[in-house]
Amino acid sequence: MMVSQNVVSEDDIILNGILSDKDIPGEPLFRAYVEAKVYDKEGHIIQYHRQPMKSLTQYFLALMTIPLLATYQSSSSTQANPIFTNITGIPSQMSTGIAIYIYWNASIQVGSGTQSFSPTLNSLAAPIANGTGGGELQYGTLSVGYTSTSFFVNVIVTNLSGSTINVTEIGLFGTIAWYNISTTYTFLLSYDTFSSPISIPNNALATFQVTITFSG
Amino acid sequence: MIIGKVVDDMYVSMLPEDVYPSDWEQPTLKVYLTAIVRDANGNIIKVHKQWSHSPTSNFMSLILPYNYYSNTGQGLPITNTGGSTYYYYSSYHPMCYPNNESNCQSYFVMIQVGSGSQSNPYSAHSLASPIANGTGTGQLIYGTPSVSSSPIVSGSSVYFYISQAFNNASGGTVTITEVGILINMYLYNPNGSVNTGNVLVWYDVLSSAISVPNGGTITIYYTFTVNP
Repeated sequence: MMVSQNVVSEDDIILNGILSDKDIPGEPLFRAYVEAKVYDKEGHIIQYHRQPMKSLTQYFLALMTIPLLATYQSSSSTQANPIFTNITGIPSQMSTGIAIYIYWNASIQVGSGTQSFSPTLNSLAAPIANGTGGGELQYGTLSVGYTSTSFFVNVIVTNLSGSTINVTEIGLFGTIAWYNISTTYTFLLSYDTFSSPISIPNNALATFQVTITFSG
Repeated sequence: MIIGKVVDDMYVSMLPEDVYPSDWEQPTLKVYLTAIVRDANGNIIKVHKQWSHSPTSNFMSLILPYNYYSNTGQGLPITNTGGSTYYYYSSYHPMCYPNNESNCQSYFVMIQVGSGSQSNPYSAHSLASPIANGTGTGQLIYGTPSVSSSPIVSGSSVYFYISQAFNNASGGTVTITEVGILINMYLYNPNGSVNTGNVLVWYDVLSSAISVPNGGTITIYYTFTVNP
């Protein structure tokens, strides 16, 4: 807390620069992790890896505006919030004569590349395709769990490619969709490179999980 | 990282809950609550900044991906400020997107301030003691809320803010101890009935009370930042 006497014009105040984080008591609210477990063909865990999620993109912020600000600019408007449309590029109004409910689906993709992070990043460097060919993984069941202020997204992948596959990057994706219209938009919500590669032997199975916690 | 030939007897839940090395990475999302208080002459007399901690259970019900609802078949509650509880199921979507028919608008209402507090912000569905909009004793005049129209980018960091000013014309000092974000939305019951109402999606108790002198103004900012 700081008390001052007309130190600056309010227009000059840069919100993120008023006080440094070190001057604010307590801890910020958010914790997020990426996690990988690799099982051999007998079902034994042969590798476990967990690290903090490092990089949310601007599209995660856009997603947060839906519960924070809802979807319309105001009760009398027929336009979406500019902060949402300016980040996502989604039109501010959908042309349809019926109520269209917005929702989003989560998914996880893993990759074998690395790249510098940017908040506008929207894809992995080298996504691993779904399949059983060389360098491919078979993406299986995706589950979403929820407890109080946390939710997680988990995907099972199986390596039937004939050789070991190394996973070096992971992304949480969100697909925004509407009832009654077929258009969808998919965005990368978070991007992380593993601090060490996740090796999935041939015929092995792995699970990748992203956990997001608002501490509440 | 742990690598072993057979480590399936490892009790995974015994691993550290929080593996954020203090000298390495900070959380990739931070939310700040900032308040700037001016006296009757327009001079800044106080700047308050704290971590904002508290999405409510309403927020969580609304942020969850549809996969959760469709895979589990479960509904989650959304409780309006009047205390009525509705449920969000996969087949009862509360949020319409703007289209060329003005139907089922869901929209941001305001930052609301109050003079009470409650110990479990997650389960809060209204402020403990909302300060009314007006010029009577203990009241504040609510200004029009404002939201960044575009993301503000600085390197890898991106943020947007929500702000609102409140003027004190009550004739005495008004003290604020709690703050929340309200939206208005359609609320569906599984029996098909529909209602609308204000819903508290974010709630914070101030780390220290803020006094707004008579004639003064307080402006509150919520700042949501990724990769700060």
